Amino acid sequence: MNTRIELRLGGTGGQGLILSAKILADALAAGGQRVAQSQTYEPTSRGGYCNADLVISDTEVDFPITTALDHLVLLDRLAIKPSWPLLKPGALVIADTRLCPELPVGDYRRYHLPLSRTALQLGSERVTNIVALGALVALSGICDRKRIEQAVRAETPRGFLDLNMDALKAGYSVAAAPVAAVAS
Amino acid sequence: MYIETAADFDVTDYLRKEMMPHFLCPGCGHGIALRALLWAIHDLGLDRDKLAVVSGIGCAGRLSAYIDANTFHVTHGRPLAYATGLALARPDLHVVVITGDGDCLAIGGNHLIHACRRNLKLTCLMLNNEVYGMTGGQVSPTTSETRLTTTTPLGNQEPHFDACALATAAGAGFVGREVTHHVPKLKELIKAGLEHPGFAFVEVLSDCTEIFGRKNDMGSSSDMMMRQKSEIRPSAYLDTVDTPFRSNALPTGVLTRNDRPEYGAAYRQAASARAGTSS
Amino acid sequence: MNAIDPTLTGKNAVKLISGNHACALGAIAAGCRFFAGYPITPSSEIAERLARSLPEVDGVFVQMEDEIASIAAVIGASMGGVKAMTATSGPGFSLKQENIGYAAGAEIPCVIVNVMRGGPSTGMPTRPSQADIMQARWGSHGDYPIIVLTPASVSEIYSETIRAFDLAEQCRTPVVLLYDQVIAQLSETVALDGAGHASATRKWASGPRADYKPYDGGSDAIPAMAKPGDGYRTHTTGLTHGEDGFPTQNPEAVTRNLSRLFSKLERHRDLIDSSEALHCDDADVVIVAIGISARAATRAVEQCRAQGARVGLFRPITFWPFPEMQLRQATANARAVLVPEMNTGQLRLVVERVLAGMPVEGIHLFSGEAIAPSDIAARATALARGA
Repeated sequence: MNTRIELRLGGTGGQGLILSAKILADALAAGGQRVAQSQTYEPTSRGGYCNADLVISDTEVDFPITTALDHLVLLDRLAIKPSWPLLKPGALVIADTRLCPELPVGDYRRYHLPLSRTALQLGSERVTNIVALGALVALSGICDRKRIEQAVRAETPRGFLDLNMDALKAGYSVAAAPVAAVAS
Repeated sequence: MYIETAADFDVTDYLRKEMMPHFLCPGCGHGIALRALLWAIHDLGLDRDKLAVVSGIGCAGRLSAYIDANTFHVTHGRPLAYATGLALARPDLHVVVITGDGDCLAIGGNHLIHACRRNLKLTCLMLNNEVYGMTGGQVSPTTSETRLTTTTPLGNQEPHFDACALATAAGAGFVGREVTHHVPKLKELIKAGLEHPGFAFVEVLSDCTEIFGRKNDMGSSSDMMMRQKSEIRPSAYLDTVDTPFRSNALPTGVLTRNDRPEYGAAYRQAASARAGTSS
Repeated sequence: MNAIDPTLTGKNAVKLISGNHACALGAIAAGCRFFAGYPITPSSEIAERLARSLPEVDGVFVQMEDEIASIAAVIGASMGGVKAMTATSGPGFSLKQENIGYAAGAEIPCVIVNVMRGGPSTGMPTRPSQADIMQARWGSHGDYPIIVLTPASVSEIYSETIRAFDLAEQCRTPVVLLYDQVIAQLSETVALDGAGHASATRKWASGPRADYKPYDGGSDAIPAMAKPGDGYRTHTTGLTHGEDGFPTQNPEAVTRNLSRLFSKLERHRDLIDSSEALHCDDADVVIVAIGISARAATRAVEQCRAQGARVGLFRPITFWPFPEMQLRQATANARAVLVPEMNTGQLRLVVERVLAGMPVEGIHLFSGEAIAPSDIAARATALARGA
């Protein structure tokens, strides 16, 4: 069977999870990977559990929905319950310290990172999704840094370009000095 | 001054003779309305190859089949919606809708108010006979209060719509009403509607002698027409629209006229303006 | 961002787009120049895309006042000779049914997209289902034939949208494009190549008006349509009609016209039929599935084969008329058939009828989730081993 990498950005509606997933998918597609990006969301436009998933392969993706996660980013505690059972042994888990303060135990590479706090320090909590994207790419190594920068640039309206590029960079920085999550 | 004769107009030139005899009951006002429409088309010299008539379901809906033009007899209540698609896709066609009071105001009421609001060039001819004639005489949104129908055996308790007030309130650029007793006036009103650049709503006060008239002891067709004539107030529509229900003194003639931008032209203009900026 | 991005449809251009986006691109490539719709999850992205791209190709987009008005406007536009489409989901699909029947009976080409979400009623607006299979075929009253296509991937939504328009025009019929919420909102890297597509055109009336009969099927059972403005001045009605297009209740005329209507699709099955058989030749167990369930089954087949179980997949792409002969061929050597579907047994019912006597088992999930490949693989493997 072909190589297959699955990842999820889990949180709530309005956090920009789908945008981050699409940016990452664009970056991977530009690098020649085959990608399927799906999401689950509630009928409300804002709030409620939401996840944005990617299935990545070097050939055509057969089943485009996640079944076993290699990487998981948690931006809200709501996302733990539906996502935790899908984790592969040894999977990468990145959780926000504020929005997802406690994590279940398990044999995973777990990182508790101040993603939303970093975004707030940059001036807007709304770029938490981009900080998370930076951290995810840094810790997982699934995508070349140049390509993710290009993809963020391509998807960002001009007025927010500096903020988003700073957020991506900050994501890399928080990942470089990680604080391992404490099992609760 | 209206001249009651039209030397150069022969209605049979505009009818599908193979469809004769028509199916209307003796005394029905719809035939007069059809004749007035065809006369107006004749007066304006409209090219029938470019004329499309869309009609709904009911006695009024059957009229399209008699007109020698591009005719479309569609589903109940939806002729305005079909006509909207046709007129938007083919702005070169002149699209006329023939509908009845049930078709237009009950099952199709939503389409009427939005057609008035949208202001696409269409001429909507609503033949109001106060009843569902084809299905055997049930109450309609324009049935007068206290009238007997097969579904109001106790007399109608619901107020009846003033369709012209409704169309005006919904934003129609041209609204008019006429009785079938005044044929040349009706023809002139339809002509004005056909010439209006946006959405035009014309209500024809028709009569259903066989079913509605008989049920309510209203006499012959001419009795019904004379009663309608006595109830109208042929003047400009100066009253404010403070009720959507019909009053006893019905204004006739051109009741509303304004020149809001026509939707189809506005859409095409916006599209070409966008094309100009993005290239 | 330009709505008609040439890099999306150029040869070898690999891009990440959603199923609904692919549908809008396919429509434009097929020559669709009119869209009327009403907002509904999860199909609204098609309307939003076409609202931007249709004006760029001298087409018209209009958001109508309701679902019924949308299909009515689409049929009206097509009566005017313009290729037209609407898109909706469950509740809106129900509302459109009467007028879909009108298009079938009056033989007005049009394309109706139904993105299947959970039901009944308002159901689950953001969750997938495959429960409109029967409605797509039988939804309007009376007897009528219709074509229903069931793509299973983003790139297939693109190609099947184009085929939907071609079939609608060639066969003068409404065509339903039926796919589930998962692939509608799924984004996939695809290489679309529709730039050179020569889209099919309707058979238009020609010759003298006196000789023309609007519903004369001629040699291929497909009547030529009169385009308004060409001088034929015909009548179109939802009433039963004779070859002249005028209403009739004459028993012979009614029978003749309805028989032709049905034979119209049957006689063009070579054009209409489309299905895919994967590893069916030696399969002990054949899985029959559409849409996202077929994607799960594709993975399940690989998993089964890896474990030595001889399992295949048969996938209808044209769902109605159902590819009965192709299914019988694909299951010629099978001992059992497994039908995973996101409903309580609609596809299974069809398969049971077509393969009378064959053991047919279903996996029916209607929770708003897609069926997992592992669940299909486990059951198929067990069936292959005689369990």
